Amino acid sequence: MATHAEAAEHHHGPPVANQSSRVDSRVLGMFLFIASEVMLFGAFFTAYFFVRVVAGSPWPEPPFHLPVFVAGVNTAILVTSSFTIHWALQSIKRDNRAGLQAGLVLTLALGIVFLLTQVREYSRVGFNPGDGAFGTIFYGLTGLHGAHVFVGLTLLTFASIRAFRGHFSAAHHHGVEIPGIYWHFVDVMWIVVYVTIYIL
Amino acid sequence: MSHVTGTSVHVETGHGHGPPPRARHWALRAGWVRAAWMTGFFFLLGLGIVVFFRWLGGYDPTLDWEPVIVVAGLTMAPLGFLAGLGGFDYWVSYALGSPTRPEDHSGHGAYTWRDYFRVNTDHKVIGIQYVSSTVFFFLAGGLMAMLVRAELARPETEFFDTQTYNELFSVHASLMIFLFIIPAFAGLANYVLPLMIGAPDMAFPRLNALSFWLLPIAGIMLLASFFFPGVGAGWTNYPPLSTEQPFGNVFFSMAVQWAGASSIMTALNFLVTIITMRAPGMTFWRMPLLVWANFTTSLLVVIATPFIAGSQFFVMFDKVMHTNFFDPGENGYALGYQHIFWFYSHPAVYIMMLPGFGIASEVISTFSRKPIFGYRLMALSLMAILVLGFSVWAHHMFVSGMATYLRVPMMVTTLLIAIPTGIKVFSWLATLWEGRLHFSAPMLWALGFVSMFVIGGLSGVMLGAVPIDIHVSDTYFIVAHIHYVLLGGSLFTIFAGIYYWFPKMTGRMYNERLAKIHFWLTLVSFNATFFPMHLIGVQGMPRRVATYEPQFGDWNLFISLSSFVLGASFMIFVYNVIVSWKSGPPAPANPWRGMTIEWLVSSPPPVFNFDEVPQVVGNPYEYGVKGARHAILNGDRAAAELEPVRST
Amino acid sequence: MRRGAIVALVSIALVVAAVTTAIAYFVDWLPEQASEERQGIDLVFWVTVAICIFFFAIVASVSIYAAVKFRVRPDDESDGAPIHGHTGIEIVWTLVPTICVVVIAVLSAIVLAQNDKPKGDPLRVDVLAQQFAWQFTYPEEGEVRATNLYLPVDRSTRLVISARDVLHSFWVPEFGQKQDAVPGIVTTLIVTPTKTGDYRLICTELCGQGHALMRTRAIVLSQPEFARWLREQQQGPAEPPPGGEVDAQGTFVQTCGGCHELEQAGTSGQIGPSLNELALDPADVEEQIRKGGGGMPAFENDLSEAQIEALVQYLVGDDA
Ligand code: HEA
Ligand code: HEA
Ligand code: HEC
Ligand code: CUA
Ligand SMILES: [Cu+2]
Repeated sequence: MATHAEAAEHHHGPPVANQSSRVDSRVLGMFLFIASEVMLFGAFFTAYFFVRVVAGSPWPEPPFHLPVFVAGVNTAILVTSSFTIHWALQSIKRDNRAGLQAGLVLTLALGIVFLLTQVREYSRVGFNPGDGAFGTIFYGLTGLHGAHVFVGLTLLTFASIRAFRGHFSAAHHHGVEIPGIYWHFVDVMWIVVYVTIYIL
Repeated sequence: MSHVTGTSVHVETGHGHGPPPRARHWALRAGWVRAAWMTGFFFLLGLGIVVFFRWLGGYDPTLDWEPVIVVAGLTMAPLGFLAGLGGFDYWVSYALGSPTRPEDHSGHGAYTWRDYFRVNTDHKVIGIQYVSSTVFFFLAGGLMAMLVRAELARPETEFFDTQTYNELFSVHASLMIFLFIIPAFAGLANYVLPLMIGAPDMAFPRLNALSFWLLPIAGIMLLASFFFPGVGAGWTNYPPLSTEQPFGNVFFSMAVQWAGASSIMTALNFLVTIITMRAPGMTFWRMPLLVWANFTTSLLVVIATPFIAGSQFFVMFDKVMHTNFFDPGENGYALGYQHIFWFYSHPAVYIMMLPGFGIASEVISTFSRKPIFGYRLMALSLMAILVLGFSVWAHHMFVSGMATYLRVPMMVTTLLIAIPTGIKVFSWLATLWEGRLHFSAPMLWALGFVSMFVIGGLSGVMLGAVPIDIHVSDTYFIVAHIHYVLLGGSLFTIFAGIYYWFPKMTGRMYNERLAKIHFWLTLVSFNATFFPMHLIGVQGMPRRVATYEPQFGDWNLFISLSSFVLGASFMIFVYNVIVSWKSGPPAPANPWRGMTIEWLVSSPPPVFNFDEVPQVVGNPYEYGVKGARHAILNGDRAAAELEPVRST
Repeated sequence: MRRGAIVALVSIALVVAAVTTAIAYFVDWLPEQASEERQGIDLVFWVTVAICIFFFAIVASVSIYAAVKFRVRPDDESDGAPIHGHTGIEIVWTLVPTICVVVIAVLSAIVLAQNDKPKGDPLRVDVLAQQFAWQFTYPEEGEVRATNLYLPVDRSTRLVISARDVLHSFWVPEFGQKQDAVPGIVTTLIVTPTKTGDYRLICTELCGQGHALMRTRAIVLSQPEFARWLREQQQGPAEPPPGGEVDAQGTFVQTCGGCHELEQAGTSGQIGPSLNELALDPADVEEQIRKGGGGMPAFENDLSEAQIEALVQYLVGDDA
């Protein structure tokens, strides 16, 4: 509270706000942001639902095929990356910087592999977004998810840069924890997308 | 998002000021110069991205202007503008691990008018930025309404061709909704909400600044969509008509994205602020109703707004990338858009009303000198409206051809909303009972709101009954409903709020006589303009038409003339605000003898709101209770020491 | 509450209710009633209006009474009575609206169910909406086609509605029934006219430039007259005998006149350009008729070769 008294005396800053909840404001902010992201996916899933109801026929529609297996491998890759980011966070909580750096780099690598596989899938899948509502919704959902992977990777890149420049400690690791939460969300979302598009 | 740091944490970790800002070359310093060149630079960057990917994918032609405009013009260039203005400076240095200057709030306060034209993290400055720019967009949208009315004065087409007319009312409505009502509420709350809960600022001040600066971008894009042409599909932008519009339609879609992003970020900020930064003693059941109202509204925004983002993405993709979300020829489903759109846009009407309910509660209680009647039920009915609001979207689609079995359940939920809303209306009336009513301008607007909103709400109940809606859907009856709830409802509460907090925000009193003239002129001309619309609607005049049957000519002439008076009445407001802000008499800290916390500090409040976090000791509306107080400010000692800050 | 206050409140409420009821009663709100469905709609309308008047009167009387009675001078510094609530009255003003809402909902649901059901054996009419014209086909009567909607009185009609390009909406105010036309799906609407006459048929869903002008007539004939009209159409020029003459002017009036002004044919449509001083060569006119464009639908599939030829001849033949 020393800082605060000083601030009040010299009018250098506002008084310390009262903390009226045990939740950390940044973590709460991230959860709310994720709630709205879930709803954005919800809008796309609604569109998917309509496409599927209108199509009525077997899914994917007859001329189309989906590489279920490759996408399954990709799913495994992304799920693994959830564990590596968790490991990175656990490491820094124990002040293990090497573990943090390794975990972050591994996660980044897995994420990039996932994205590249997806790009490859796009180029081989044999139809494009303009090919009927089926093509549209396939690219719409996977593309939306891909964009989220990209955002997640960007956040993780920032965290890695900071990790390598010596930031974060057992006491201060929000900069890893929060992108980590986002990354878990991206993973879970992928499982939902995968199950609806490829399997159901 | 994750790099934003809460105020509380800054002060704990940030020792002193950090390194002084490096003196940079003037072209590199955050500001308008850098914004100008970075806008151009980012545009070129976007252009490069598009060309690169088209080249990679082997598309022909490599340089196609449509994707270039979407990516470079409507996405990258605005980002460049924000970056240039300094919206991202902190996060960029944070992300790169460079030394950051913790938020020491040295950017707080506004000392000259120029301070309003930079990225300022002070919630009070942001509040004023919000309110002034939204009033500007209100005037622009109003001007378009005047043109609409000029055209409709006679049955034939007089001034505009039919496409231009379609664009006029589309831009009119979109400006009013996305750039006036929604952000004006956000602006007022930005100013008073942290004060009301005893917080020194919002939880994420930088995010707050960024949310504001998205608005001018959205506004300019929306106006551009009018000149670019292409928004002629109504504010609802239903496909397939919207995908058939000229290219300017993507300006509309992107403007909605920017405005939507701004709303979501602000809502997130409000929620975190309300949850984590309330003053000691302020339990949820001691929060002023304005705070409750913004809490529920923000929940609505966070949950619903992504749906309109989705709907506009779909339309834009169908247009630019030739996808088939809504193209029936390719198995798309045209009605899908309407479901997704209204899943946002019905809750959106409550986003446009609940903060107004909050303002009305504050004003009515203060000027009746009585506690709000049934405080808890007032808060709970807000929550009930929130929940029900998500289950009624299809009442905009009763005649759309959707599955018929949806109609009766949606009708029932729609009608049920009348109950919590009724509770609110009756509680306001009960608050007046045995009160000591002072009819100052804010109170006039608040009571005007109650009566006009009841008319609009009752016509809403009529629309909720499916057989009536089948007859009057898409007629002027709807136009009447829209304006009774939005103009008589939301707009009236915005004026109540502006007049109520004008002394607090500017440190000056407005001219009470002019404010009253403004109110009465608006009230009368508003009713003269919009009440007859019920009649011509029921009798068979459809909406969104530039020409109509001669039998409606007389009424329309009358409506148009009244609407010009209505337009003129707002000029009184503009004059009053400008003159009073410049040279009105100085305002005392608490001109209305209000009890909530914002009235405990000077007008305008000190840069950091409080020297000492206030201690909340009671309910917010204990008027008439002997010795009751809502909050105490450190024995009032600090208040004397605080240096007043001029905002102009 | 004092007795005086209650008396005052009730009297203000009665005055307000009387005034609003007078406005409801003496102003001609609803257009002429010309269908059975409208009867149900009107019933719901008036019941709901009555409920609305009831609540409006309450709100008005309390606010007026409070404004007059509890107003104080600006310098009055006293506070009101610290009333925080009253559970009993809160229950009342939750329950009463609930009951009213249930009444509206139940009544609406009944009327809706009735209006969705045709009475007896309905006449089927296919409605095709396109920018910016209506086309009506009577599939059970030998594919008779018309641009006005002809209906027999006192017989239910099932309108089967589809759209060619964008959303449109079918509405005849005197029938009260309304239904969107949606590309890709087929919607239906039941109308049972009860009065002969000539009514407006309006497109009420924004469909582009010509939306305001996308209008035609709904003509209700007595049953014998309707039968005669059908017979005329069945024998008439719809499908010209091979080699026979096509009635170019008739075709023009029926198909094109809604959009185009042409003195020769006596049409005055305002959606497309006037064709009085047409400066195009026959090939362009034919192209325009076949492919449409710029807001005009394509007629390749709707008109026979002979009809198209005759139209071109009719429009530019003489000058060429
Ligand atoms: C601020 C914005 C706002 C608000 C608050 C509302 C509130 C309501 N609206 Fe409205 N509405 C719009 C803005 C709003 N609306 C807009 C912009 C459109 C047009 C969109 C477009 O197509 O462009 C629209 C359209 C619209 C439609 C679609 C019409 C159509 O296109 O065919 C319907 C149908 O059900 C409807 C119903 C209602 C209802 C039941 C309420 C209820 O919430 C009202 C509740 C309030 C009261 C009822 C009054 C007070 C209560 C009492 C005094 C208690 C007792 C009363 C009874 C029991 C009757 N609205
Ligand atoms: C908050 C919302 C809001 C507000 C405040 C208004 C305000 C007004 N509206 Fe609007 N309106 C809508 C929301 C709103 N409207 C919506 C959602 C629609 C549906 C659109 C659709 O169908 O898609 C609509 C549609 C609509 C129509 C129907 C168009 C049609 O269907 O064909 C009409 C017609 O009369 C109309 C009129 C007016 C008028 C006269 C005002 C007046 O209150 C305006 C007051 C005038 C001023 C404020 C102007 C003052 C300024 C000047 C005189 C000039 C100076 C200006 C500068 C220097 C910049 N509106
Ligand atoms: C739904 C309205 C509509 C109908 C029905 C319609 N037209 Fe048109 N027509 C238009 C519009 C709109 C244009 C203007 C096209 C443009 O600007 O490119 C047009 C243009 C034309 C032109 C070119 C005129 C010029 O000066 O460029 C001709 C010729 C024409 N129509 C003939 C016909 C004929 C013949 C029919 C009937 C078979 C017909 N139209 C039916 C709307 C219509
Ligand atoms: Cu067709 Cu409007
Ligand atoms: Cu609604």
